[in-house]
Formats: sequence, structure tokens, C-alpha cells
Amino acid sequence: MISRIGRWFILKLKNASYALGFFTNVLKEAVLFVRQKQVGVKVLIMQIFFTGVEALSMISLIALALGVVIIIQGLSLLPTFGQGKLIYIIMIIIITRELGPLLCAFIIIARSGTAIATEIGNMVVNHEIEAYTAVGINPISYLVVPRFFGVSISLVLLTFYFNFFGLFASFLFSQLITPIAFVEYFQNLLQALQLSDILSSLLKSLAFGIIISIVSSYNGFKVHFATTEIPQVVIKAVGQSFVLCIVADAIISTIFYILK
Amino acid sequence: MENLIELKDISVISQEYSTLVNITCSIPRGRTTLIMGPSGCGKSTLLKVMAGIIIPDSGKVLLEGRDYYSLSDKQVLEFKKRNGFVFQDSALWANKNVFENLSLPLRFHFPEMDAAQIEQKVTRALEYINLSDSIYLRPAQLSLGEQKMVSFTRALITRPTVVFMDEPTLSVDAEMKTRLLAMIKKLKAAHCTLVAVIHESAIISMLADNLIVLKSGMILAQGPFNQVINSNNTELKGILNDILQKPSSYDQNILDLLNE
Repeated sequence: MISRIGRWFILKLKNASYALGFFTNVLKEAVLFVRQKQVGVKVLIMQIFFTGVEALSMISLIALALGVVIIIQGLSLLPTFGQGKLIYIIMIIIITRELGPLLCAFIIIARSGTAIATEIGNMVVNHEIEAYTAVGINPISYLVVPRFFGVSISLVLLTFYFNFFGLFASFLFSQLITPIAFVEYFQNLLQALQLSDILSSLLKSLAFGIIISIVSSYNGFKVHFATTEIPQVVIKAVGQSFVLCIVADAIISTIFYILK
Repeated sequence: MENLIELKDISVISQEYSTLVNITCSIPRGRTTLIMGPSGCGKSTLLKVMAGIIIPDSGKVLLEGRDYYSLSDKQVLEFKKRNGFVFQDSALWANKNVFENLSLPLRFHFPEMDAAQIEQKVTRALEYINLSDSIYLRPAQLSLGEQKMVSFTRALITRPTVVFMDEPTLSVDAEMKTRLLAMIKKLKAAHCTLVAVIHESAIISMLADNLIVLKSGMILAQGPFNQVINSNNTELKGILNDILQKPSSYDQNILDLLNE
């Protein structure tokens, strides 16, 4: 029993050190990627297209729905306490600071995280990774780094788009309930918005992008021989990404709360 | 004869199973070395260790007398630039078309080449293997034989001086095999260092200068071809007879099956 626990612990330690080594390697290659003229630029552009551009419609719909939900709940509840103006602060807190980055991250995990883990897993099984190594192309530099940049950049941009679209959708829907002038609405929003809200949103989306790209790629590379391993690593990638994103969200929120 | 590659006490453990055990051998420059042995004895793994694709768990790989794993990135790239690897299952990059599969090594190793030069080189190579019409097809749209030809062309497109081939004639029809053999003979005539896993007796006697025979991950015999073939070792003779009598492609095998 004790030896089994010991073996389990050693295995966990090995996995953790391998994951740390993988992360360090990606960061090292990311620095080199910026400095060198790389063949991976095309992969980066494609990744931004798949992760950012192709997710726009889904992000728009969710931002719209969230904006509508918040305005309905806020406007039906807050005025009864004479706190109608609080709706702007609540919208900033929920859309910009909390749910915007997190919901975008969830969408990207479901779309791009699964795609990255599946694609890399398939490449391992079909010896395509070995073929890159045989040619002299570092798979981390060519496959992971463009995805690392692509997902991170896309997630930051998508989060800002989500924030703007969510807040704008709230305005549109509020016109149906209690019409308010466009200028007045956005003036109130800007008064409620603080620099820390924007920074928090930026930092969270960046952290989530890094987490999703690294975790998905790492799990993709953990496939050994069979295609049956691919769904298993995809499930792991999704689960780990969700957990790590929520933990990172809590940590960043706490840091901003302490610094306030 | 100067050795290009030397392996010293190489062991590879895969999934807690020893694939190679204390392998010590050398590959002379400008000669053709064939690796033979029963299925699952570690031939492909040995070939990949020699080519720097698989990192051994223990032992040393010496490239021109220097430890391969202490070479600088630049020196490793220089070696990769002048070597080509033909995979048993072709290992073409599935998300790239034939043109991209062939142009990537050129773009990577010869950044000074412009797009027109690369296109000309790839087009000429495809004309040579009669696959000009398939230039924009994905690997999945090609037959296995065509995939093998593209894989072979990808390995040779950078004009390597060292070529590793893992069953290059497997799943190739008679016409393509003739063409492939002509290309291999040309490489031999140009004094390229060839290292191959081949099981067809006709090709072996035509190409082999040296022979390495493996059994259960260990070297059973190695040395000049005639010396190994004429050895009195009964175990070795048994293995060689077994391997050489097995047709290595379905094209040959099917006729025997039909006659039975």
C-alpha cells in the first residue's frame, strides 16, 4: 500500500516536472519566435483566425444574451430599493471584470482547446511530430508557440469585444424597458468603469489564453501510440483548463481586491 | 573508413518495455548500412535514434566523433539540413497539401530561396515522380504508394548527404518501386550515406555494404554485408532466412495467396 502511494507520488512529481519543463521550453521558444524569422508565422495567423475570428459569432450571441439578462434582472430589482444607478457598477463588475474573460475562456476551451489537443494528438500518432523533428523543425517552436500566441492574442481581443458588445447589448435592450439616452448611458458606464477593471480583464484574458494553449498542447503531446488515447487527453485538457482558469480568476481577483 | 554516426551502449525504454538494449554500432560515411531483424525487434527505433529523432534513455550518440546531444542548436540544424528521413508510414503532414509538404523543409533550411525558386524546385521534383497533378492534394487523397513517393521526395528535396529509410519500398507498386530503386541507386552512386531498414532480398544484395542484424532489441551481428551473410551462426542464419523469405509488400503477397 505504502509503496503504491510512493509510486503514485513519484509519478505525479515526474508529471509535474515534465509539465514545468514543457512550459519553460514554450516560453524560451516564444522569445526566440519573436526574434527569429520563423516559418511558424503562417501557423500563428491561422490560429488567430480559428480562435479569434471564427469564434466571433458565438461570442457576440453570448455577450448579447448576458447583457440582456443583467439589464432585465438589474432594472427589475434595483429601482425598488432606490439603487437604479447601481446597475452600471454591476454591469462593469459582471461583464468586464468577471464573466467576460471567463465566458470567453470557456468558449475558447470548448472550441480551440479541444481542437489543439486533438490535432497534436493525431500528429503524434501519425508520426508527423517525428517528421518535423527529422527535418530539424522544433515542434514546440513550430506547433506550440504559434498556438500560444494565437490563443492568447485572440482571447484578449475577444474579451474586449465581449465587454463592449455585452455593454452595448444592455443599452439596446434597456430601450425596450426604460428608454435612456445613449450619451447618458455611456457616461454613467464610464463613471463606473475604473482602470483596474480594464487591467483586471486584460490580465485575466491573457492568463486564460496562456493556460488554455499550454494545457491543450501539453496534453496533445501526451498521446503515445493510439488514436483511442486522443479523446482521453482532450477530456483531460478541457478539465484542467477549466479548473486552472477558475483558479487563476480567483487569484487575479484577490490580487486586485488587495491592491484596491 | 570514417564513421559518421556511432552509437555507444544505447538503450531505449518505451512504456516500461526495453525496445533497444545496450546497442553499440557505427555507420560509416558514404556507405550503405542495412538494418534487419524480425518484426518488433527495434529496427525503426534504432534508425530514429541514429537520426536524432528519438532520444535514448541511456548511452551516447556520436556524430562525427562528437556527442550529438551536446552539439549546439546550429550544429544540429546543419546535420538535419543534410539528412533526410523516409518514414515507414510516410508521415506526411496531413493538414498540408503536397506542395506545402515538400516546400516546408526548403523554406526552413534555405530562407534565402524566394517563393519562385521553391515552387520551381517542388514542381520539378513532382514531375520526376509523376505526381505533378497532385500538387495541391492533401496526403489523405493520395494512394499509399504515392504518399511514400512524396515522403521520399520530401526527404531528398534538400539534397541530403545522409538518408535514413524505414522500409522505403513498403506498400509501393512495381512501377513506383522501380522508380524508387533508381533514386536510391543514384544516391548510392553519389556516395551518400544510406541507412535503411529493408527486407527484400533483391534490394538488399543490390545496396548493402554493411549489415546490422537485430533480435529482441539487441545486436545479433554487424559488419560488412558478405561477412555477416556468410556467418556460420545458426541463429543468425535462421533469422535472415525467415526475414528474406517473407514478402514485404501486399502486392507480391497477394499473388501467392491467390495461387494457394
